[in-house]
Amino acid sequence: MVSPDVGMPDCKDSGPGSYEKGGVVSMDTQTFRKMRRYKALYILFIPIVLYLLVFTYYPFVRGLVMSFQENRLIGKRPFAGLSNYAKVVADPDFIASIVNSLIIGVVDMVLYFVLALLLALMINEIRSSTMRKSIQTIAYIPYLFSWAVIGGVWALIFDIKGLVNAILGFFGQEAVFFLAETSLARPLIIGMGVWRSVGYFALLFSVAIVGIDPTLFEAAKIDGASRLTQIRKIIIPSLSGTMKTIIVLLSIGVLTHFDEIYVMVNPANRRFISTLLLYVYETGILNFRMGTASAGATLVMIGTVLIATVMRRLTRYDEE
Amino acid sequence: MAHQLKRADKLPVALRIVGGVLLVFTVVIMGIPMLNVLAVSFSESAASDAPGLVLLPLPPTTEGYSFIWKHTDLSKPFFNTVYVSIVGTVLHVLFASLAGYILCQPDLPLRNVMTSFILLTMTVPNELTLIGIYAVNKDLGLINTYTGLIVNGMISGFSVFLMRNYFSTIPKSLAESARMDGASELNIFLRIYLRLASAGLITVGTLELIRRWNNITLTVTLISDMKKWTMPVVLRWILFDQSSTSGTAYIFANAKMAAVVLTAAPLVVLYFFVQRFLTGGALLGAIKE
Repeated sequence: MVSPDVGMPDCKDSGPGSYEKGGVVSMDTQTFRKMRRYKALYILFIPIVLYLLVFTYYPFVRGLVMSFQENRLIGKRPFAGLSNYAKVVADPDFIASIVNSLIIGVVDMVLYFVLALLLALMINEIRSSTMRKSIQTIAYIPYLFSWAVIGGVWALIFDIKGLVNAILGFFGQEAVFFLAETSLARPLIIGMGVWRSVGYFALLFSVAIVGIDPTLFEAAKIDGASRLTQIRKIIIPSLSGTMKTIIVLLSIGVLTHFDEIYVMVNPANRRFISTLLLYVYETGILNFRMGTASAGATLVMIGTVLIATVMRRLTRYDEE
Repeated sequence: MAHQLKRADKLPVALRIVGGVLLVFTVVIMGIPMLNVLAVSFSESAASDAPGLVLLPLPPTTEGYSFIWKHTDLSKPFFNTVYVSIVGTVLHVLFASLAGYILCQPDLPLRNVMTSFILLTMTVPNELTLIGIYAVNKDLGLINTYTGLIVNGMISGFSVFLMRNYFSTIPKSLAESARMDGASELNIFLRIYLRLASAGLITVGTLELIRRWNNITLTVTLISDMKKWTMPVVLRWILFDQSSTSGTAYIFANAKMAAVVLTAAPLVVLYFFVQRFLTGGALLGAIKE
């Protein structure tokens, strides 16, 4: 189970008893009568099952099978044992993309979390609700953008004649070719991610802060607790559920960075930002070495499950 | 006492100043680049390539827009994207509400099995089955077709459970009394549930529309034919690739930024219409990513 199973409360009026019984096929007359009454729903569920079998379950199995087969475009693909896995693990490009994925993925995860939490706490201290909403909206808007749009925004402001170089020039610094500067490749990709996502995750925190029982603050005020104490003792602890959800959510995404890399990659920065999924995509879709690519994808899957499990344990996500 | 209460409500002055400065800094970092892009897109060609910061194009002109629209034949990818996004979203919402409604029946026999069947699809991020998805779509003849872009992702567990949650807030007594009056299950679904869960439909629909409009991964996996690309992929090509294609004219910054605005604007406009729904479904939407 990799995905966080939050936000999916059961239907309100079904007691825990009825839910547990739902899976047991007790062939009494009452069950039959119910099944007949719901006949239309069962029939309507069939296309959903078929769809998911063809477009979700089968591709997963298909990828797994291909990872054990030789790379062939047409005809039968002979069984190849673990040779694809051996090839992938020995490929320096794959190893480099593991390093890139981990650096970009982990730093992004930490920055999204910390900066969004800080932003939400600061926004919460603003008195005027119009001001609060405006700042929230401005920070949220980049999350609506495709990675290509973000790439366009960054290409403009980090251009040799762009905004950032104008500021550097103002301070007497020399202009920098940011997008070709290899040492800045990773920081730029990470910065793009933060710019796009921080407002979104801050909004998730803000929603949770608004949901805190106001009587807690009243009581704290009567006890003479300062605002700082209120933040430390009321707001932060109340956010623990949201924090866990966001951490688990982000941990699933650590190894799946693709779009921003696909948009920004060029011969100069490739060595520093090419991630695992870009490797899988280029190997399988562009170069048609689908067995090798599938083996890579399977390893990424295992890595993702591993990271998610560790984060679940660390945050004690499944407790409570 | 009153004085004390007031003080208990605010942070120390130093912290408030730091917080204020950081907030201004955030607004500048988020807002100025967006303004810059918008301003450059409305600048004249030569002015748009001049160094420095432009926040107000003088005189404002739409020549960047008309150039990029004609030069790269942008109407085609634009309306392609509109088509695949809207058709895909409508189908997605339809199936999400149908499945959500079915799984919401409290006394439906086998419901547990059916729920697990959908839950299981959420355990592996879609991107990780890229190669399998390509192979299956190839077998079905969906490579380089809009149908492929529409059909893939038509049902997602996240949307199904989101819809189920919205349906679960509708009192069951409504369905019961309609059933007594002899209404069919399909009619109860269409006439009562869909109508009362419109907030849910809008939330799921908007999240899906944003996802589809912006999608790059699936598009570059299924579509290798440039003529069938969607806006984000064409935009990437305009921004970073077209210079390597011989025989194309130089594209000024105003035209490039016009393409950026054209890709982003529809979703920003949509956002302001449905903002209140999105905030409500924000946390639920989180698990969609």
